[in-house]
Amino acid sequence: MKKPVIALFPEASFGSALNCVGIAQQLQHQGSTPVFLCHPGFNGVFAEYGFKEYQLPQSAEAQHQNEETWQAFVTAHLEHFNQNPTEQLKTYVGPTWEAIVDTAIQVEDGLSQLLKRIKPDGIVLDNVIMFPAIANAGVPWIRVVSCAETEIPDINIPPYLSGMAADDPARPAFESAYIKTTLPAQKRYNIFRRARGLAALPAGQFLETSPHLNLLLAPKSIRYERATPLPEDQFVFLDGCVREEAQFEPPPLPVNEGPIVYLSFGSLGAIDTDLISRIIAVFATIPARFFVNVGEFLESYQQVPDNVYLGSWFPQPSIVSQADLFIHHGGNNSYCEALHFGVPSLIMPYCWDGHDNGLRALQTNTGVNMQRASWTPPELRQIMTALLNDNLMITRMREISDKMKKGNGVRDAALAILNKISI
Amino acid sequence: MQTFRKTPMLQPRSNTRQNHLKLARKITEVVLERGFAEGAHLPESTLSKACGVSRTPIRSALKLLENNGIVQRREEGGYFLHVSPERIAAGGLSDLEDMEDSLATRILSDRAERRITDIQSVSALVRRYDVPRSSVLNALKILSSDGIVVQLPGRAWAFQPILDSSNALNDSIAFRLSLEPQAITAPGFRMDSQKTGLLRQQLQEFALRPDGALSAVAFLHLDCAFHSFIAESSGNRFVKGTLLAHQRLRLSTQKNHSIPNFRLRQSLEEHLDILDSLERSQLRLAADQMVVHLRRSQIRKPQTLNRGILPMGRGALA
Repeated sequence: MKKPVIALFPEASFGSALNCVGIAQQLQHQGSTPVFLCHPGFNGVFAEYGFKEYQLPQSAEAQHQNEETWQAFVTAHLEHFNQNPTEQLKTYVGPTWEAIVDTAIQVEDGLSQLLKRIKPDGIVLDNVIMFPAIANAGVPWIRVVSCAETEIPDINIPPYLSGMAADDPARPAFESAYIKTTLPAQKRYNIFRRARGLAALPAGQFLETSPHLNLLLAPKSIRYERATPLPEDQFVFLDGCVREEAQFEPPPLPVNEGPIVYLSFGSLGAIDTDLISRIIAVFATIPARFFVNVGEFLESYQQVPDNVYLGSWFPQPSIVSQADLFIHHGGNNSYCEALHFGVPSLIMPYCWDGHDNGLRALQTNTGVNMQRASWTPPELRQIMTALLNDNLMITRMREISDKMKKGNGVRDAALAILNKISI
Repeated sequence: MQTFRKTPMLQPRSNTRQNHLKLARKITEVVLERGFAEGAHLPESTLSKACGVSRTPIRSALKLLENNGIVQRREEGGYFLHVSPERIAAGGLSDLEDMEDSLATRILSDRAERRITDIQSVSALVRRYDVPRSSVLNALKILSSDGIVVQLPGRAWAFQPILDSSNALNDSIAFRLSLEPQAITAPGFRMDSQKTGLLRQQLQEFALRPDGALSAVAFLHLDCAFHSFIAESSGNRFVKGTLLAHQRLRLSTQKNHSIPNFRLRQSLEEHLDILDSLERSQLRLAADQMVVHLRRSQIRKPQTLNRGILPMGRGALA
């Protein structure tokens, strides 16, 4: 019997990529052949987990992307990360959507050719924008919503990327501003969609829900009560989606006592070495062990305190499972892993759905949300100490974790996908 | 920002004691390399052969390890491993607190973890570790014998490049790519058949471990043992010396970067395939397999990435 071939296409972020690795591992266990479509620069990442990769052709523009491009990006955006979500619409969200639309247009032809070559039986899209080649491939496509649940709107749910409550009086103003800001990119995208045979999307939207299957990474403990429930045959909520990852053995530190705290702001957050240095200075004054993901910027740090360990990469599920507190940027993957392992979150969002998850952590008593830069060392120390000693939250997190571990998000995802695939 | 750890004063020791301490460290390396389990008998004859010394100093070194709770002498005769190999591996040699060269290990570890800068004065180290000047000088001497530090004109010491970042790891792989295949193809390559058998057994046993027991630290030890063995077997004395020093540097300073289980198992298979070719005397094939193995071992993670901006891969991988 022919094994179904499932092509997974995650967006170019670690959260999405590694989330798809978890699903692919289960698809493989269930007897299918998962393969990855990957952006240039991600080559080799999926192969290390044993999966075949197909690389999207690199555009001329991307080929010119180099360290200077990144430096320009950092210079331009670093200050914007301290703004509130409404201010970021103009400075960050608008330009990012323009760039996402550019990417979708650039990779379309290459993606279409790859899909004709691979002839998958199904496609898993973990992204925030539709690539017409996928909708036109003639096989079921599955949307993975690996951002916060706010990505699928409802009147009871806060507006996407707003960081505000659903009933916030400022909601209408934010929604109008969002539509106005994204309009130029959205118009351009709709022209592209029509040219590729797809219907235009309503204002503010870049990705439709799949008529086949949509997987939402929104664990029960943080899920919203929707005014309009999503149809169960098309929408499956996953209680976490944690991949099988290598074991991390915390190395002994010169001062090797106290609870374990893990900090990771993702690869983009790691560029703010000034902020992380400020945080590390506070860590030096707290009797705990700190493991800090500094991405590619290890060489920017000197005189690391004796209770702090810096790394360029950690197998996150393993270290989170051993941590007593997880400080992160509110990325959905990180937040879900914290819930899965019953670890309180201290969320310091800098953009996108980090704001939404920060608020949700506060609302559900699964963590604390704080502005990433406007704190004093005593304030940060006090918040961390309180979180490490918040027995009510710790008990609640353990209960959530116990329930999530009884389920198996990646297996549920794989089975739901295979149910929709016919060969 | 820097915090300092107060440690008990270390006393200067005689040269004989230093040799026993060095030998004790060598024994712990043999324990890890040969995969002795907790409770296993450690035959003096095996240790004597592995360390290239007679049984008398081995007994003294074992006595030191016994004093530190790492081995245990039993009535039925001989010494037995009293702690798990993982504990030895995870703590490096930090369990051997009483050992003279543990200060060297601590200094090196602190440098690898960027707790101290690459230029150090003896006085600064005396202050940081709260030990006598003679102990610091002795530790620096141990580190300089491996080429890890060099004395600058004046009183400062400078650390040489170590494997403390992704960029350094990539440089290390590039360096090994240029030399390790040559170590195999240079005239005079000869493997010790007993050591080959032992190494093969360790690789096979490690590969049989379930996913949850694939320790990255233990793998690093095994990996360094494999590549050191290739270097030892080389017929070119300079290639051999340079590669052995580099493997020692890897073992003592390479950050604990984890590898997905799939790649780790694939890497073990590649080691075994290389050994197969070498045992068949297919040296050119083994050298080519070494190139493939090292290229596959390069770090794959994109350097920076973000939604809407295409990820920037590593130049070496493009």
